[in-house]
Amino acid sequence: MARRLRRVLIAIIALLFLLSIPWYREAGEAPAIWLGLPDWVAVALGCYLGAALLNAIAWLLTEVPDRDPGSDPTGGGAGQ
Amino acid sequence: MTAGNVGLWALGAYVLVLVVVAEVARRARTDLTPSDHFLAGRHLGVFVLFLTLYATTYSGNSLLGYPGEAYRRGFPWIMATGFMISIMVIFHAFVPRFRPIAVRERFVSPGDWVRFRFGDERTGSALRVAVGGLMGLALANFLLAQLIAMGHVTSEVTEGAVPYWAGVVGMAAMILFYETLGGMRAVAWTDAAQGILMLVGLGALLAWLLGEAGGLAEVTRQIGALRPELVAVPDTVERTNWISTILLLGLASVVYPQAIQRIYAARSGRALKRAFALMTFMPFTTTLVVTLIGLAAIPRFDGLGAIQADTVMPRLLGEWAASGLLGSVFAVVVFIGALAAIMSTADSVLLSLGAVVAVDLLGRSRSDPATTRLGKRIAALVMVAAVGVALFPWITLWRLIELKMELLIQCVPAFLLALHWRRLRATPCLVGVAVGTLIAGGAALAGVKRIEGVHVGLIGLAANLVAVLAVSWAQGRADSGSAGGSPSGRRR
Repeated sequence: MARRLRRVLIAIIALLFLLSIPWYREAGEAPAIWLGLPDWVAVALGCYLGAALLNAIAWLLTEVPDRDPGSDPTGGGAGQ
Repeated sequence: MTAGNVGLWALGAYVLVLVVVAEVARRARTDLTPSDHFLAGRHLGVFVLFLTLYATTYSGNSLLGYPGEAYRRGFPWIMATGFMISIMVIFHAFVPRFRPIAVRERFVSPGDWVRFRFGDERTGSALRVAVGGLMGLALANFLLAQLIAMGHVTSEVTEGAVPYWAGVVGMAAMILFYETLGGMRAVAWTDAAQGILMLVGLGALLAWLLGEAGGLAEVTRQIGALRPELVAVPDTVERTNWISTILLLGLASVVYPQAIQRIYAARSGRALKRAFALMTFMPFTTTLVVTLIGLAAIPRFDGLGAIQADTVMPRLLGEWAASGLLGSVFAVVVFIGALAAIMSTADSVLLSLGAVVAVDLLGRSRSDPATTRLGKRIAALVMVAAVGVALFPWITLWRLIELKMELLIQCVPAFLLALHWRRLRATPCLVGVAVGTLIAGGAALAGVKRIEGVHVGLIGLAANLVAVLAVSWAQGRADSGSAGGSPSGRRR
């Protein structure tokens, strides 16, 4: 369950990163000022704040085991 | 007392504290093994781990290079906050699988992973040397950036009492002494103190700047009046560069040698994940703050050249110190924080460089104290060479970061892909590294930075991945054609 939720969170984070870039605006357009910033900058910061919050939750849901031979990508082979 | 004298006294006091910390760390060491020197005996808890990750991630590049880039590029540089968060996101694909293997196998250097994963294959050693070489180059570049930053900070804040060259040479000597004596333990302790200084000082500097300018909206209005292109919606090339930078920094940072060594040095996986959860918010307290500081500098110092733009932060500190007693006190706090950030990154780099060259490139034992001594000597040699180059700065700090990342990102398949793809073998990775490095390095030498906004390092990575897939496919066909052939001695 936690693993699935983590994946969903990471997918939303990826979406927020894409939304942070002003693809939706005409290049060279003069912006309105929101919160003292050009509006497209304020939108980007909002996306990054959302991404940071979701990422922190995703890290807290993550298991970082100290010993787990099952995760060995070489199939459990011994080291050098 | 003039602002320059205050800076000079602060510098002296800081150097004295460093000497004491290095000596205490030397006494705290348990043995002379590489594990104790390079990884502090693998005992970093969540608080120190978080602050050492923070101080290492936010270096002289962040404190001088990012305001300089914000000054040059304007509001599109808000992308910096995004790419610093992306680093903590992409680590999800690496840390949970990598950490248990690193603990079990007692890795010390980044190349230990390559040795473990591909060591018994015919081209495994060559791959380890290739990856170690790229990491060594990236670390030397990183060291150079710190030295340049140190020179700028010391000369600007002491108002020339310590000239640029003396700042570079003197602080380089200090780092060498400090890292040699104290190792990772000393580095982590001062990282912790420096992290706190930086947070307090940068916040105060931004508040002062915005107060002076009449608020953030007024700064935005003034920039719009002076250079409207820095406020307007960016064009397609700039937008493409935005996503390219997020990918470049996010992916390449996963194979940052110092970051990998901190994954080894953590006391537990639990401490590591909590440190990463905290780190995800630090771009708002640091990258965003230095970006706004660089933007606020545009109306104050209109018309600085590209290299001079890297000095906007120390220039602002000088003005702040001259504004009164309170300004002087806070400017000193930021100055010491900045200097400590640069020093801590430089000594972390030096520490990693010693491990990469001694263990990965020269193949020395991970448990022999002689490896520690060799690592220190190599680090000293690289430091001397870097000082020579830093005395004549000819490149912006941000360009140095880009070059470093474009090299490092070519190591991503050998780490990230190899961690998730069991059947990946050494030869495809080696061919991929060679192809990617040739493209990225060749383009950089030819003076090509980006194509339509996309970094040449990312184009190199794409070619690198295509080569990995093509050679893997060809090897798979060859293996299936040979009767009883085993793809690798390591796989079961």
